[in-house]
Amino acid sequence: MKLGTKLTLFNAISKLVIVILFVLLLPVLIKNISRNYVDSQLIKQKNKLLQIVKSRGIETYIENGEAYGSYLPLKEEYISLDEVDPDYYLDTIKRGKRLFSEGDTLEYRILSHTFKIKNKNYLLEIGKSVDTLDETSAPLQNIAFQVLLGMILLTVLADQVYSTYVLKPLRLIIKTKLVGQKFPNFNSYRKVRTTTSDFEHLDISIHNMIETIADKFHKEREFISNASHELMTPISILQSKIENMFEEEDINDDVKTRLLEMQRILNRLKSITKTLLLISQIENDQFLKEDTASVAGLLQDVYDEISIRLQDKDISYEMTVPVNWQFVNINKFLLFNLFFNLVNNAIKYNNQGGNINITGVQVHDKYVISVTDTGIGIEADVIPLIFNRFKKLRQALQQDSFGLGLPIVKSIALFHDIEIDVISEKGVGTTFKLILPGTLIIVQ
Amino acid sequence: MNVLIIEDETALARELEIFLTNYNYVCEVCFDGISASEKIATSLYDFILIDLGLPDYDGLDLLREAKKHDPEAACIILTARAEINDRIKGLDLGADDYLPKPFSLLELQSRMQAIVRRKFGVKNNIVELGGFLIDLTARTISYYNSVINTITKKEFDLIAYLILHKNRTLTRMQLSEHIWGSVVINDYDSNYIDAHIKNIRKKLNAFAPPDWLETVRGLGYKIKINA
Repeated sequence: MKLGTKLTLFNAISKLVIVILFVLLLPVLIKNISRNYVDSQLIKQKNKLLQIVKSRGIETYIENGEAYGSYLPLKEEYISLDEVDPDYYLDTIKRGKRLFSEGDTLEYRILSHTFKIKNKNYLLEIGKSVDTLDETSAPLQNIAFQVLLGMILLTVLADQVYSTYVLKPLRLIIKTKLVGQKFPNFNSYRKVRTTTSDFEHLDISIHNMIETIADKFHKEREFISNASHELMTPISILQSKIENMFEEEDINDDVKTRLLEMQRILNRLKSITKTLLLISQIENDQFLKEDTASVAGLLQDVYDEISIRLQDKDISYEMTVPVNWQFVNINKFLLFNLFFNLVNNAIKYNNQGGNINITGVQVHDKYVISVTDTGIGIEADVIPLIFNRFKKLRQALQQDSFGLGLPIVKSIALFHDIEIDVISEKGVGTTFKLILPGTLIIVQ
Repeated sequence: MNVLIIEDETALARELEIFLTNYNYVCEVCFDGISASEKIATSLYDFILIDLGLPDYDGLDLLREAKKHDPEAACIILTARAEINDRIKGLDLGADDYLPKPFSLLELQSRMQAIVRRKFGVKNNIVELGGFLIDLTARTISYYNSVINTITKKEFDLIAYLILHKNRTLTRMQLSEHIWGSVVINDYDSNYIDAHIKNIRKKLNAFAPPDWLETVRGLGYKIKINA
């Protein structure tokens, strides 16, 4: 999930939780507030009444010992004053029910207060109906919920807009610096405009890292390229010298055998250097991809070139590739070398009298060419390492290999955007699947 | 034939000179571009071998000068910088061939021979060996009147290379380099040459024993032709 979405989602959910909590608490709150309000009203009324009693005398309300009572027409408030036992004492505000002479029972908040005047004890009761209060709480809750919901929507919208705005540099960094980049061909640096210092820091750090990697990468390539080139001339001199010495008349056969050994070693050096140079040339994009070739034809060329090796190990070679497949936008020399090395490996790691099968299948818009052998196989944990340079993981039956065959294959495949999938079972065989994009093959 | 060798690596220039002299070429050597430029302007050659990587001169400029002063000379470019751009540029400017370093001297000789055949339009290039007629131009082998068509392209390449360097022992290494030179092989196993030779012998034996194709024990192969 994207950061912006996460932030908006979190904002919305957290606000919603708070609002729901508030709305649920609302009745309790309202009850509390209104009770306090009613209580203070009751106390005020009590004080006022006591004031009246004090100034005008109890007779204002009570004459001949008859109790006083009064209420509003709808009985939402009442006052009663009566004489009670001298020892009776009460000073509370409570909820309670009162029965009226008409037969109504109503619920009130009741202030009860006893006071003494002229050795007589009186009980004052002031009541306020609570029904009205209870009824208001539900609609209030409703309205509050709706209003708050509206407010949440508004703030979420505002959050969304703002976070989109403030996170824009981050999106830009990800889009231009990370996602669209194909290693190692980085585009030139373009500063991402932002006022957020964190993003500025991130942008510069990423840029510096990429630059360091690219620099190291270029240096490595340059080194391999230069080293291979520089080695060519000395190798050339040695090769010429050995070739000339070979023809000298006064050299005996023993020396000739040793010269031959030197030639063999020199050839190995030459082979390694040439291979490294080829890989570096591929990586430096020094090949064109403008050739067209029949797939079956190219594989036939590989077969012609390699048939002596097949024959030597009595390996059968089967090819079922559609004859109407045509490579386009490829480098023929490189693809030839790719297949040559794959088939050569399939021979090298095969058993005497084994089998090599090459098939071509179209899968959706891609083309899959597989080279399958019945050889010794590769262990699963080793498969990711087989394309590394100079890694000799499989015990070759002949010791002359130096572990650059698959790196060549990988470089050429990468250069043509071909994906390689390796499936192998120990003791059963290996399949190298080349998955070619639709742009490389046309079906005629 | 006259050859001008332009190569700043003196050791390599010396070996080229020795080798070509053995093949009866008359050689002159220049170790730098300026003296080479002078020689090109004053003398005529059949072959000019130009190293592209001269310290004082652009090898391609020398090629231009050579084409101007001596259009008949065949120019072969030698370079350690085997980049395709150089290759195209060299051939565009009229180089007759192009050899990336490191190359085998035998390969150089075979390229020079090919140029000679091309220039002088050699049509009749047939060698007779123990009853076999080997036509190097048409690339066929026949025994009296029957053409042997079982010989593969690679096998013919081997025979032709051995004939070109007749009476000289060619090592398996030299032969593999010639017939698999275009493939970048990860391993160097020249034993396959033996398999090829075995096949050739088997195919020719059906007609007559090819005694002229000799195995030089422990070293390589040789085709003996008495001049």
